[in-house]
Order: sequence, then structure tokens, then C-alpha cells
Amino acid sequence: MSGRIYLLPLWIRLWHWTNALLIIILTVSGVSLHFADPKLTLIEFSLADRIHHIAGLALVAAYTFFVVANIVSGNWWQYVPKPPGILERCWIQGKWYAFGIFRGEPHPYRVSEEQNFNALQALSYWGIMYMVMPVMLATGLVFMFPEFAPDRAFGFDGLLPVAILHYVTGAVIVAFMIAHIYLGTTGKTATSMFKTMLNGWHED
Amino acid sequence: MALYLHALRAVVVFLLGVAPAFAGSDAPIDQATIEKNRKANEACYGCHSAAGIAKPPKAGLDLTKLKDSKVEPEVYNPSDHGVMDCRQCHAPNHYNDYPHAKEGKEATSACTECHAAKVLRLEPQFNASVHAKTKGVKEKFACHTCHNAHVSIVALRLKDPSKIVAQDNHGCLECHNSDKEFAKFAPDDEKKPGAKKKRPDIDTIHAWLPNAKAHWKAVRCVECHSPEVQPGKMLSHEILNKDKSEKKCVACHSANSSLKTRLYRHLVKDEQQKYGFTNSVMLSNSYVIGATRHPLLDATLIGLVVLTLLGVLAHGALRILATLARKGKKGEQK
Repeated sequence: MSGRIYLLPLWIRLWHWTNALLIIILTVSGVSLHFADPKLTLIEFSLADRIHHIAGLALVAAYTFFVVANIVSGNWWQYVPKPPGILERCWIQGKWYAFGIFRGEPHPYRVSEEQNFNALQALSYWGIMYMVMPVMLATGLVFMFPEFAPDRAFGFDGLLPVAILHYVTGAVIVAFMIAHIYLGTTGKTATSMFKTMLNGWHED
Repeated sequence: MALYLHALRAVVVFLLGVAPAFAGSDAPIDQATIEKNRKANEACYGCHSAAGIAKPPKAGLDLTKLKDSKVEPEVYNPSDHGVMDCRQCHAPNHYNDYPHAKEGKEATSACTECHAAKVLRLEPQFNASVHAKTKGVKEKFACHTCHNAHVSIVALRLKDPSKIVAQDNHGCLECHNSDKEFAKFAPDDEKKPGAKKKRPDIDTIHAWLPNAKAHWKAVRCVECHSPEVQPGKMLSHEILNKDKSEKKCVACHSANSSLKTRLYRHLVKDEQQKYGFTNSVMLSNSYVIGATRHPLLDATLIGLVVLTLLGVLAHGALRILATLARKGKKGEQK
């Protein structure tokens, strides 16, 4: 059966692309700050700092919108990996990415209005959006208002654990973004998932 | 002529530098002399301290004047000059008795009396500084304008960067954060004839500096407002105005941070890369983004991102090859 279903309402698409744009801006400016070097300037330091602050606050706003809109619309349920057989479904999905996709086998999972994501998607989106993102945003806010950071930690300035958590979660999100963009090419055609993310319609 | 003067200055500086230790050197003063001096100073504290003002030993003392000449023993004693008898600088001939001779104030010893070599070395730097180059200001400046001889402790002894910052920035902010004090030194206003220059607001002129308030607590004004300093050398007394000051953030915010030759100059020799952190001596005081990194963590996270990228590129390439191979097979079957 092949069909066309309206999967993604406008608010999700607008949030998604805002989020994507902000994360790209924050990645470039964040790299400029952490790896600051007089011989290798990506974005000038004080400009990178300003950009990172503004885009960071915008991301906090976008994330708040995401959480509230998910609660209000009930969309949060999509991100919950549901038993039974989560592990088995993950295994089947993983096997398809590792082997089936090269053999031209059909997707092991069929997208529906009730269940937008395959088990691996749901798990990773849930982990990134509800575990990693809040830590990155919270530590970013403490970075912005260092008076809320602990005074001392491990004999060092108390901002150190905040900075490390921010850096590690940021890097995990960058790695996720790379994988996420690539996996976007694994739809019916290489571009069909990108089209869904633009117009909201999923095609089987 | 100027050449001769320079040569003469160089000779004098050299001779003074190699001369036996004068006061102002690091030569230790024996404990008995310190005790003797402190005992003698107690007579001065009888009036010139908070306790003395609260309970004047004599009636009819001018308390307002006394408040201006108050010194706290608990602040003075640990200071660099705290081992000295007050009368070493405050002319003994005028201060042995009460009431003090009127000429006493003018007869205070000049810093050069002990610090001749240092002053000779620093004078050209000061002469190039904004405080000397601004018309009408140089004449009002002396060492004690910025350095409080009753309080000041040299950075090498203070060690703790936050204490160095608090002490040194106090010297700058005493005038630059006070309209009243600034007015005492203010040059003529170039735009308004007859008027004195108004104090520029510290926050406004540093609006370009991200997290300015965090900088005030973590570094000294002179980290940016003094010329580049060679490793192991003392910071210059050539205080720079806004046009000449350091504005490149990466001068400090990078692995080879200039803070190593400035605020952390005395600590950097103890650098042991604690827990593997680059510039861990700085990290003990402040997290300086760009400077206080962990090479292993950097390598791990760069590795994570690069491997993800290589992984998806390889996966994509294999997909293309597999698709081509399948198409080829279909073509053969036809």
C-alpha cells in the first residue's frame, strides 16, 4: 500500500528549522570560542561570544516552545519508546541500517499518524531532546550568569564542571545533527524526508 | 645629547642594580629590627588608627585631619612596608614629638630614596603612559597616586590572583570609578574650553567587552591597558589609553594565553597540568574559555564528531555503490 499522510503540523516544522538554524549558528560560534586561537580565527572572539549568547537565548525560547507545544498537542507521546519489544524493534531497525538498506530491502517500519518514528528514532530523539538538550541549555544559562555556578569544584573554579557539561553535551548534539541529517536521506528517495520536513506530507 | 643621557641612565641603572641591597629590595630585615620598628609604630597608632580616633589619647585633637591620616596596623603590618618604622618615610625630625612640626608633611621621603633603581627603570615607561602624556596630568602624579604604600603587597608575595586583582584594580578604580577623585586629576576638556574632562563611565566604555563584570573580578585593568610583556619580565608602567589597549580577546583566550606572562606570571612556574588541563594554574582561579582546555577531552570530542562524519560518509558511499551494483545486476538480467 502506498499513500500520502499529513504527518507534521506547521508548528513542528517551524520549530524544527528554527532549532536547526540556531544549532548550526551555535556550533560555529561555540567552536570559535572553545578553540580560540590567534592564528586560526573562525569568527572573531567577541563577535562569536555575542552571537552565541543571542542564539543561545533564542534556543532556550525555542526549546521552551517545543516542550509546551508538545504537552499541549499531545505530540510528546511520539518520543516515548513504547514496549513491548522495543529492543527487538531497535535490533530490526539497526540491522536494516547495517545490511538491509544496501540490499534494497524495504523499510522495516511503516510510518503512521499514530506512530511517526521508528523505535531507534524515538529512542534517540527522546534522549537528545529530553536528556541532552536540557543539560546543554541549563549549563549554557549558568555560563551566562556565572553567579549561579558553584564557587569551587575539584580545587578549580566552580565554572569548570558547568563548562565541561556544556562542551560535552554540545558535541553530542553536533554528532547527532550530522547523523540526523544523513539519516534524512534514507527515505523513499534521498530527498523525500527533507520534503516531508518542509511540507508536512509523508509519502510511502 | 639624548644619546648621552640614555647612556648615563643605563650606567646609573646598572650601578644601582648591582649595588648592595637598599631598602625596597627583597633582602630580609632581621626579626629584632622588625619588632623594634613595630613597637615604635605603636606610638603613632595611638592616634593614627581607628582605635586611636575612637579613643583619642589627648583632648582637642583635630579628628577630621586624623581620619585622613589613619593607618590600620592589621593592614599595614603585613604590607610590603609593614616592617618599617613609620618615621623612615615620615621625616623623623618632624614626627618625634607632638605636636608634629608643620613642615612634616612636605618632608615625607620620596620613594626614590629607597627605590632609586626601580624608579629610574620605570620612569621612561611612566613617561610614555597616558597619565604622563595627557596635558596637565603628569605633574599631579606620583607613585602613591596608584600605589598605597601603607597597604600594597607585591604580586609575588600576594600569590593569590584574586587578591592581586582586587589590590591592583583598586588603584585604578579609586579615580576611574569616582567622579570626585577623577576631578582632582582631570585634564582640560578638549571639546569644551575652560571645562575639565568628565570621568567616562567605566561600564559604558567597556560595553564592547563581553561579561565585563566577570572580567573586573578575574583580571587586572593593566592586563589590557599595558603593552605586551616578555616572559619573566615585570609589567610595564606604560598605562595605555583605549586606542592602544589590547582588544584582541584571543590574546588571553587561547592556549598560549598572555595571562601566563601577566597575572599568572608568578604561578606559571608551578604549572603541572593538574588533571591534564592546559593552564591549570589559571583554572584554579578562573575558567578562561579558550585557555583552560583539556587536550584529551578535546581529542575525544573531536574524534566523536569526525568519526560520526566519516561513518555517515562511508555509509552513504556504500549505499551508492550498492545501488549501482543492484542496477547493474538488473540490467544484466534484462
